[in-house]
Amino acid sequence: MQQYKKTQYKLILVLVGLPARGKTHISYKLNRYLNWIGYKSEIFSIKGAQQNDAQLDQNIDYELEIDPGNQQFAEVRQHLSSTAAQQLVTFLQSDGDIALYNGLTSTKADRQKLKSFFKETLKLEYQTFWIESICDDPQVILNNINESKLSRFKDKTIEQFMNHINVLAQHYESLENTENLSYIKLINIGKLVKVHMLEGYLCSKIVSFLLNLHANNRQIYLVRSCQTEYHLLDKIGGDPELSAAGKQNSQQLGDYFIEELKGNKNITLFTSQMKRGIQTAEIVGEKLGIKALKTKNLDEIDYGICDGLTVKEIAAKYPKQIKERKANPLEFKYPRGESFLDVIHRVEPIIYEIERSRDPVLIIAHVAVLKCLYAYYHCNQISEIPNIDIPINCVIKLVPIPYHCLESRVNIK
Amino acid sequence: MQELGKQQKMVIGMVGLPARGKTYISRKICRYLNWMGFKSKVFNIGNYRRQICGTDCNSNFFDPGNKDASKARDECALLALNDMINYLRNEGDVSLYDGTNTTKQRRKLIMETLQQKFSEVQVFWVESICNDEDVILRNIQLTKLNNPDYVGKSSDEATQDFQQRIEQYAKVYEPIDMDENISFIKIIDIGNDIMIYNIQGFLQSKLVSYLMNLHIYPRPIYLSRHGESQYNVVHKVGGDSDLTQTGLMYAKQLGKYFVQELEGSRNIKMFTSTMQRALRTSNEVCELLGVEYYSLKALDEINPGICDGLTYQQIADKFPQDYEERKMNKLTYRYPRGESYLDVISRVEQIIFEIERSRLPVIVIAHQAILRCLYAYFHEHEVPEIPKLNIPLHQVIKLVPAAYYCKETRIKIDPMTGHWEIQDEATIKKVKSFLDL
Repeated sequence: MQQYKKTQYKLILVLVGLPARGKTHISYKLNRYLNWIGYKSEIFSIKGAQQNDAQLDQNIDYELEIDPGNQQFAEVRQHLSSTAAQQLVTFLQSDGDIALYNGLTSTKADRQKLKSFFKETLKLEYQTFWIESICDDPQVILNNINESKLSRFKDKTIEQFMNHINVLAQHYESLENTENLSYIKLINIGKLVKVHMLEGYLCSKIVSFLLNLHANNRQIYLVRSCQTEYHLLDKIGGDPELSAAGKQNSQQLGDYFIEELKGNKNITLFTSQMKRGIQTAEIVGEKLGIKALKTKNLDEIDYGICDGLTVKEIAAKYPKQIKERKANPLEFKYPRGESFLDVIHRVEPIIYEIERSRDPVLIIAHVAVLKCLYAYYHCNQISEIPNIDIPINCVIKLVPIPYHCLESRVNIK
Repeated sequence: MQELGKQQKMVIGMVGLPARGKTYISRKICRYLNWMGFKSKVFNIGNYRRQICGTDCNSNFFDPGNKDASKARDECALLALNDMINYLRNEGDVSLYDGTNTTKQRRKLIMETLQQKFSEVQVFWVESICNDEDVILRNIQLTKLNNPDYVGKSSDEATQDFQQRIEQYAKVYEPIDMDENISFIKIIDIGNDIMIYNIQGFLQSKLVSYLMNLHIYPRPIYLSRHGESQYNVVHKVGGDSDLTQTGLMYAKQLGKYFVQELEGSRNIKMFTSTMQRALRTSNEVCELLGVEYYSLKALDEINPGICDGLTYQQIADKFPQDYEERKMNKLTYRYPRGESYLDVISRVEQIIFEIERSRLPVIVIAHQAILRCLYAYFHEHEVPEIPKLNIPLHQVIKLVPAAYYCKETRIKIDPMTGHWEIQDEATIKKVKSFLDL
């Protein structure tokens, strides 16, 4: 038997593009997404190789800089690029599934060299997919440079960055069909997209994912539905309605959002098809003057045979399952129910919708589902999911920015 | 989630020279959208032209220099546009404008008319470009020669005239340009190259993902339920029961069927659910075939919630109100704590993508409600019909997608004797497909 997620071959995603075109940002997002849906994925880059090499001056941007006096920088760059490629091969030869490569790929010669290198050194079946980011919007390029500066090279000026990029641009060769490579070109953050020789389940998924990305830093709010009788009785699952306190808390939640969103009606409100979700969302939605979109994808994890029981009852009735869950909380599947992995898969279309949305998104759902959504933005390993804390009556505000995700929590009471 | 797509009506405009698969693509999109719950309809300009100008139009009619004919063709285009708008104003969500629309002027005319008469509509263009002569000739032979335009003409005559018609169009063809400031997808050489510009919104994103998966390899699709399960025998709903002896025998016979049908080939893709009865059936088949299957929760049977493990009689006794509700509206009725057929369609959509994408034969071993939804997609059934479709046990449904429809064959396999009874399309149409589950 074979779970569909695992493919029979390894995948190499190679990034192509001038500096300040968002390659690092794209690779971070892709890497995070692929790990979240269950693949072992890692990024191999010149930057990464540099950070791992203690002998190098960490204040020099080897990826970018030209040293007019001597060839040294170019040689170091070449060396780092090869090291990254070597590490990539080692990773895939062992248990890695997908590797993203962010190294020297700006000319046709570089790319053919890389292609040959993989062919010669990888002793297993693999597919390569090339991702090029092209940008001619000066404002976007400027934004990208500013963000790079914030994260690493604080003492460089914008002019210095622009000069380096212009020198590199002279030798840059965009991907061409004649190179016989399977690729996607994202131009001006996806306004124009070109795809060539697309093949395979994973690459199709990756293309669909990339089509939804944009650079707007919009807020995402995650909230649990409010209190129900089950909370008071310590029961799990079920489809109970809100308690009186729950209804009151929903009102307070609505008031909080009125202030927070400052009259912005361009927000999307998602909730589940469960009574507590719908009731909370309807109260909040009414206050904000927007309609909630209900989707079964956001329903709470299916507790199977444990549904409707109290925590004590489950401990008494199903001690074996409790042990199993303790041993492997991420993969544990409630009998006749779901596991966290099933929930991730179920909730994936919501991630696509959040990514696609350029306006704030508000999600009113349930503990296990929110843990999975939260993990997409914050966790590097999905094994962390069962331990994430999502308290009730607490609004978690996430603002994804390049390379990070800002978070703040507000308790509503 | 469909509500996201219904926030705005949509017009999809096709662009391309004749014999580039525009009608094929537009009908596939229409079938997909209807299945997903968006009411869609294709408006084929050729049909309007045939109605108004008659079918005796040889290639000279399409000469851009022929002023009278051009005027007539413009009128047809606007008539179709009006009908499209009326459809959207009434019950439609999406209209597909199936015509060549090969000049900037024509596309501008359509955009301006829509702005004027129905400004709230979203417009999305799909251009099909193909330069492979073999593919074009094949398209002509498959779809044009049976066209009412060529009744009574020999196939050589018809092919030649059609090729001349294409040349008339080619004289003035202007592929979509980014300057036109419209949202579009260009499909070049059956998807070898794809260009996407300025897509906006939930539905356009979905359509683009869908279109990227299409191809024209005529691979067969086999649908079969698991073998008879213990719950089947006692008429219980849901559960995760095992196969009966009979069911197990069916699984083995099914394996033998596939070995013969696929002539020993292992180049297939097999999907099944995570439920015991399907897994056991698939295991038997895979052992004989020497392949591996993909086990997906998305193919699990419809979740009957609180009715799980009950017989229909017990449901009628215990939950009479629900029983009646379900009888009245089987498509939208949702079992308390369970699913409705609409939920299943939503769940099973990713499988449709996988089947579409596959260039190898596909075998799906799953459950009644699941297969009803999948089957309905391939046969363009009206969505309300889905809960009544006839998908009995111990039968393989073989679907081979042809130009605008699916050829169907049913193979009844006797679990005891292994004897096959093949029902071809003609017989199938006679049998009524109403069954009360």
